Amino acid sequence: MNRFLVVRKGQRRFFVRRVLIDVCALWLSASVAALAQSTAPALKANQPFSIRATHVVGLPNTKSNCKGTLSTQDNVLRFQQSGKTIAQVDIASVRDVFLGEEEMQVGGLPMKIGKTAAPYGGGRVVSLFAHKKYDTLTLEFVDSNGGLHGAIFQVTKGQGELVKNELVARGVSSRSGEDQLTKQSTSEVAYDDK
Amino acid sequence: MTTSKPNWIFCVAASITIAVAFSGRLAGQTAAVESSAGGGSGTEWSVQVKRIDSGDLGLAHSFQVAIYENLLEELTKTKRFKQVLREGDGKAGELPNLLILKTTVVKYTRGSETQRAVTTVSGATKLTVQSQLITRDGKIVLDRTVQGNVRFFGSNLRATHNLARNIAKVITQSAWPGSERLARNSPVNPDRGRHTSPAS
Repeated sequence: MNRFLVVRKGQRRFFVRRVLIDVCALWLSASVAALAQSTAPALKANQPFSIRATHVVGLPNTKSNCKGTLSTQDNVLRFQQSGKTIAQVDIASVRDVFLGEEEMQVGGLPMKIGKTAAPYGGGRVVSLFAHKKYDTLTLEFVDSNGGLHGAIFQVTKGQGELVKNELVARGVSSRSGEDQLTKQSTSEVAYDDK
Repeated sequence: MTTSKPNWIFCVAASITIAVAFSGRLAGQTAAVESSAGGGSGTEWSVQVKRIDSGDLGLAHSFQVAIYENLLEELTKTKRFKQVLREGDGKAGELPNLLILKTTVVKYTRGSETQRAVTTVSGATKLTVQSQLITRDGKIVLDRTVQGNVRFFGSNLRATHNLARNIAKVITQSAWPGSERLARNSPVNPDRGRHTSPAS
């Protein structure tokens, strides 16, 4: 009987120790993850960088909604797809860079079809959660004739700021207020003097 | 009986030949008139697209740039103009017949793709712009109010694509003094029921 009690006491102690270790491990991993998020890839000025981006519109000879890599090297901003340069813009020709924030539904066409086919409005519930925010990076640059061009890229949320900082560090001007404009609430505004 | 049958066939064949000959001659005349009107009095214009003026509406720069770029693309597709130039293009000074396309945003409703997906009926992104074609000396030859929106599927930026397509369509269907379309006396369909302010 006494022997049985000793065994149970030992098991209990072992269980408490194990729980403590588990909690510590969980806390440690959570704090490491939080630290990793807060110290997101910091780019040093004038160092080449490369991020995943989707070209929306504007780059010459590049299709819309084309996924690729946006990188800078030797004062040139390059958009590459599978290692091949599709378009490049001289950073000196970039007049302005703007940063915005948008929201999109994820999953593309298959998800859209699935949501439409779901019974009892289940697709709408899925839509409530199947969205993500992303940054829009808008560049204004001029060509050799002086013609104004604009290019829009979609980048992962948080990375737009890094690209903007990188370009600003290389002498590109950036107007503030874009974020404020794009985050404004849904409202209808109109000219009265029309 | 036997002699009348060949006569009847001969008459039908003769009338068909005459009809075909006349129709060919008429078509030839129409083509000649069209070619003379197109090549002679009609002037081939080029257009320079100015950057979008959003006023105080708080339209995001991404939207302004998207409208501008989509406009350039859609106007090039119409083949209505000899050249489609960008703002600041140095070639604009050399072109004799140049129109300037000025686009001003007059109304903007910011929508949400998620809201559209969840509710279907709300969350539409709507854009209304005033498009003006202006000559070098400041004369407005075309003034239209055009809308572009995205109601069901697609991102908010898709509204800019729809808007640019509508502007290009309105310009294609319109005529102005000296335009090729007016010279041909083709029917003009001003922007299909949308509220329109006439050219001043």
